[in-house]
Amino acid sequence: MLLRSVDDSQINTVFPNTFEEYKKWDKEKDELPPEEVYRALFEELAYGDKIQVGRALTRMNYSKSGWKSLIKKTSRAIKKAVKKDELPDNYKDFLIEANEKWADPTYWYAMGQMVNNQTSIYYWNAIDRTFDQELNVVQQEEDRRVYVQTWLKTLKVSIYVTVFCLILGFPVAHLLANLPLRYSNLLMIFVLLPFWTSLLVRTTAWIVMLQQKGVINGVLVWLGILSDDGRIAMVYNETGTLIAMTQILLPFMILPLYSVMRVIPKSHMRAAQNLGAKPAMAFWRVYLPQTIPGMSAGGLLVFVLAIGYFITPELVGGKDGKLIGSWIAYHLKTTLNWGLTAALGAILLGFMLIFYWLYNKIVGIDNIKLG
Amino acid sequence: MSKFLKAFLFASVIFAPFAASAVTVASWGGAYTESQQKAYADTYSDPSSIVFENYNGGLGEVRAQVESGSVTWDLVDVLPGDAITGCDEGLFEDISDEIAANAAPGPDGESMAEDMENNGLEYHSGWDCCVPQIFWTYVVFYDPDAFPGEKPDSMADFFDVEKFPGKRGIHTWATGIIEKAMVADGVEPNAVPTVLEKQTGALDRAFEKLDTIKDHVVFWSSGSKPLELVKSGEVVMAIAYNGRVGAANLAEGENFEYIWEGQVLDQEYLCLTTGAPNREAALDFMWHASTPEAQAEQAKYITYGPMRASGIPIIVNNEPWGPGGVDIMPHMPNTPERLAVSIVSDPQWWSDNGAEINERYAAWMGN
Repeated sequence: MLLRSVDDSQINTVFPNTFEEYKKWDKEKDELPPEEVYRALFEELAYGDKIQVGRALTRMNYSKSGWKSLIKKTSRAIKKAVKKDELPDNYKDFLIEANEKWADPTYWYAMGQMVNNQTSIYYWNAIDRTFDQELNVVQQEEDRRVYVQTWLKTLKVSIYVTVFCLILGFPVAHLLANLPLRYSNLLMIFVLLPFWTSLLVRTTAWIVMLQQKGVINGVLVWLGILSDDGRIAMVYNETGTLIAMTQILLPFMILPLYSVMRVIPKSHMRAAQNLGAKPAMAFWRVYLPQTIPGMSAGGLLVFVLAIGYFITPELVGGKDGKLIGSWIAYHLKTTLNWGLTAALGAILLGFMLIFYWLYNKIVGIDNIKLG
Repeated sequence: MSKFLKAFLFASVIFAPFAASAVTVASWGGAYTESQQKAYADTYSDPSSIVFENYNGGLGEVRAQVESGSVTWDLVDVLPGDAITGCDEGLFEDISDEIAANAAPGPDGESMAEDMENNGLEYHSGWDCCVPQIFWTYVVFYDPDAFPGEKPDSMADFFDVEKFPGKRGIHTWATGIIEKAMVADGVEPNAVPTVLEKQTGALDRAFEKLDTIKDHVVFWSSGSKPLELVKSGEVVMAIAYNGRVGAANLAEGENFEYIWEGQVLDQEYLCLTTGAPNREAALDFMWHASTPEAQAEQAKYITYGPMRASGIPIIVNNEPWGPGGVDIMPHMPNTPERLAVSIVSDPQWWSDNGAEINERYAAWMGN
């Protein structure tokens, strides 16, 4: 699948001659490609396999919107002419006659992206860059720049969620590990029950709680803390995404922390205090360092899960709900742009490897423990 | 060999051929698939031979099945853009000759294609691989209780937050909204696809119009959401799939009003996967599911309109057609007077430009 992010061979098997001739076109000298290019295109459309051309069309449309119907309309005209055995004298005139877009150099410039068997365009697209007519990398048109902001948003959300999970999960795990068994068992059920509940149910439940006419706002208004017009928007924005994702991923933080804390002997804290440390100091210097393996395991788990999340953010995130996972799913299923899908996936994988490397540098990978 | 194992092997040999002969239809699930089950499968000569499976739309899974050579879906229920792409790419099989020979003609002997053209549709390459199902539509609806005084009744009202204050629910992708924004900006509904295709700057115009409501919008991404948003009072009006609104009105006793002006009709097709394991049986089911009678039948269970023109008189002449003896036409999107103020979404144009516009729409949403 990763190979797809650089592979452009399918279309090259469909238009080999066209592309060969295309490479000879001197864009400085002639506004439009020479007659040979038009002729090669005519022939490859006239005699090419319909399905292979169809697959190439999907690919071509990524380079510029409008290729699909341009080629299809042109193909129909060409096949008609071939059927009647009326081969044109001038292929250029024929094609421009069939559709005036063939006189529009921007289509021809876009073709330049595709004339090689390998391409880096998908990676550039994944960070809002594209090729100009000379195949230099340039910024995408301003109103289409979505990926960089999505990458940043995805990172931001994942980091926030990890931090919130740590802050909320630590005391819970500590309680779980230190309460008498009958209380801790009950508490454990409170942690595990939501963990076993369907993701969609939990997401929907948060919507019910957080929406403007929802439970929390309702109670606050009833208590007179908020005015009826001053209801807080807690869902269908980033706040909603953070709240819901934190709650959903919390068990992935609590469980590793718990399993590590459970085996830390209670005598350590007592010993530290015996030796003169105040409780806070004993916690900071003795207890906390021993929980690092659990924090790391939980942190890594939550972060890795969060960075690929997309269903919950889409449901509760409103306009901020499209994280990078949504785009991967969108291109995989809807646009069928698997090159871009693979490039986005590869970059995501790269991110994770970088974080893993950083983590290894800072904490050490041997320091990870699930109990 | 244990007795149990023997019995198991025996059973699998006996039953395997039956299991394999069931035609698998991938469809959208929920009330929609239920209506297909009732209207198409239950009325079919062998109802048990049709099995529905849920999917979320898009051609990703179909392409994966066809490319890997392990096709499990015989038929797929798709949007017109996917019918076009799937047919062009050979993911769906070109069965144009079979369709011409076997699809049920209309009452006056018109072919299925002519029957669809009578409904204002234009040929696209999806017609070579697929048979028509129903029209569904992006329609704006509201709870009349939210507007004690004057009620909104046009796209201009939907985009006018001063005249009708309150939030609007709209979806997180561009199809349908772009067209509505054009109508709100004064374009004749029927002319919208042409203006979008031919006029430079038309898209900028649509986005400028969208800017005017941007701060008053709640975005939704799943079909049940707009109903919840309006019901809970989170928004005062929302765009929704009309079938969902129809179901709320007919089955759940809601009293929602539609704004039919500027509704965006989209099509739905049933396509034959290339390499379908039960090709012949699947074809036979396709002929059944595309008859005007079957399409009219589906309207009994969901308020989506037949794509074949000859399906409509069947409903009109037999009212009350709806569940529990209610007239169904008041809830249907494709009556003549509603069509006069509607947009029929242009799948070819969307298939050309959809990816780019959706990126632009997402950028607009995020900024």
